[in-house]
Amino acid sequence: MEREKLEGLLIDFIDGRLTESERKEVKELLSTDENVRVLYEQLKQVTTAMDRSAQIAPSARLERGFQQMLHEEEAQQNAPKQKQVFFSPVVLRAAAAVLLVAMGIAIGNYVKEHNTQKRQLAEIAKENARLKDDMLAMMGDQNSASQRMKGVNVALTYERADDELVDALVKTLNEDKNSNVRLAALEALSKFHQEPQVRKALIAALSKQDDPVVQIALIQLMVKMKEKGVLKDLNRIIEDQDAIQPVKDEAHSGILKLS
Amino acid sequence: MKKLIVILLVSVIAGAARAQEYKVAKSTGRLELHIGRVTVEGHSGNEIIFTSRDGDKERDPRSEGLTSINSLGLKDNTGLGLNVSEKGDVVSVYNLKKNNSPDVKILVPKGVIVAFEHQGVNGGTAEFRNMENEIEVSAQYNSVELENVSGPLTIRSIYGHVEATLGAIVKDPISIVSVYGYVDVSIPAATKANLRMDTSYGEILVDPKFKIDFESSDGDRVSGKLNGGGVNIDLSCNYGKVYLRQK
Repeated sequence: MEREKLEGLLIDFIDGRLTESERKEVKELLSTDENVRVLYEQLKQVTTAMDRSAQIAPSARLERGFQQMLHEEEAQQNAPKQKQVFFSPVVLRAAAAVLLVAMGIAIGNYVKEHNTQKRQLAEIAKENARLKDDMLAMMGDQNSASQRMKGVNVALTYERADDELVDALVKTLNEDKNSNVRLAALEALSKFHQEPQVRKALIAALSKQDDPVVQIALIQLMVKMKEKGVLKDLNRIIEDQDAIQPVKDEAHSGILKLS
Repeated sequence: MKKLIVILLVSVIAGAARAQEYKVAKSTGRLELHIGRVTVEGHSGNEIIFTSRDGDKERDPRSEGLTSINSLGLKDNTGLGLNVSEKGDVVSVYNLKKNNSPDVKILVPKGVIVAFEHQGVNGGTAEFRNMENEIEVSAQYNSVELENVSGPLTIRSIYGHVEATLGAIVKDPISIVSVYGYVDVSIPAATKANLRMDTSYGEILVDPKFKIDFESSDGDRVSGKLNGGGVNIDLSCNYGKVYLRQK
């Protein structure tokens, strides 16, 4: 018989799990075969030891230590579960991060827009300055009276005249070689006659003006402005040898209306 | 008799051979006319061509080889009684005789700005025909006649009148001022313009067919837009009348 089968049989014999006929067989083997009897003894020893160990109960102290260790082990087992709960702060942290980034983007956009607006305003101001330069350049075109007139007509579209523009217009009024351009300059200046320096320049122009067409228009403007300060100038014009008759007539009429 | 005919023929031929012309090769810049009267016409060439409309004068044989000069030191370098000189971009034209302007016709290319200036009493009419050029006139006694011009125009006369007919193309600005004379302007019905018409003691007369969009104005001024507005047209008279006609 193979050893393994024999071992199994003997173990079962020890445990009392064999049938009657199998027990008789094993007893026969035991009495006849020395090796079988040795094996049987070994197996019996092992089985007995195992049974005996099973009956060893742990001491009280050992039991207590063991229970404590068990509790600690259980506590640690739960800890990972509590780490699971801290995920929410992580979510919150993520949310906070996203919020911060979003705020950063919003602030950045606002600043950019603000800067864009500032830049646009600066560009508009620059464009205005360039348009004004163009206008002044047109007013200075010595070749073409129509260009000078167009430049002056642009000044008519302004709501307010700054010093540079007023100076350019006054210069045109007093010195331009073309009467029509001078008249246009007078037209533009009369629009701003409320401003004191324009008023002063207009009064001064009357004494300097030699172009009859402009003199007449200027006297008419003074009358409209009710500027009595020019009465002296009007008298001078009446006496003036060089002034032509229509100008003197206008001066007379002006004196009558202003007095 | 035969002799007479031969002499006449010879003098006519001789005169014809002397039909004077003076040319300046210029198609841009300014032409400044300081003469008493003129007829200026636009042409498509690239030269300014001066011709005399006076009948051919008999040539004084004693003056052969000599040049006429005047008190300003100007020489007749054209044979037309005119002194023509060029300086930079400007061609200046002066009368030799202050009191007697030759009857001259000038053909001008369209790129040249024409400026006419005359302040003396012995002036005649300044005529401008078929021109697209910019025209400037500063006159005292001269009357000004413009036919089929486009502008830009800056015209002023003290005692003379101004008559103008504008073509289909009107260039900004059109400014005409006269103190004693009348201002009579014809424009095409479809002209888009910003009208400004002043008179101190005269009247403003317009063709009733014009639909003028009136704007409030001060004093004696009539201002308004024609066909929506566009070119600035300023017409002003102190004592005369302003006439605005439809062409």
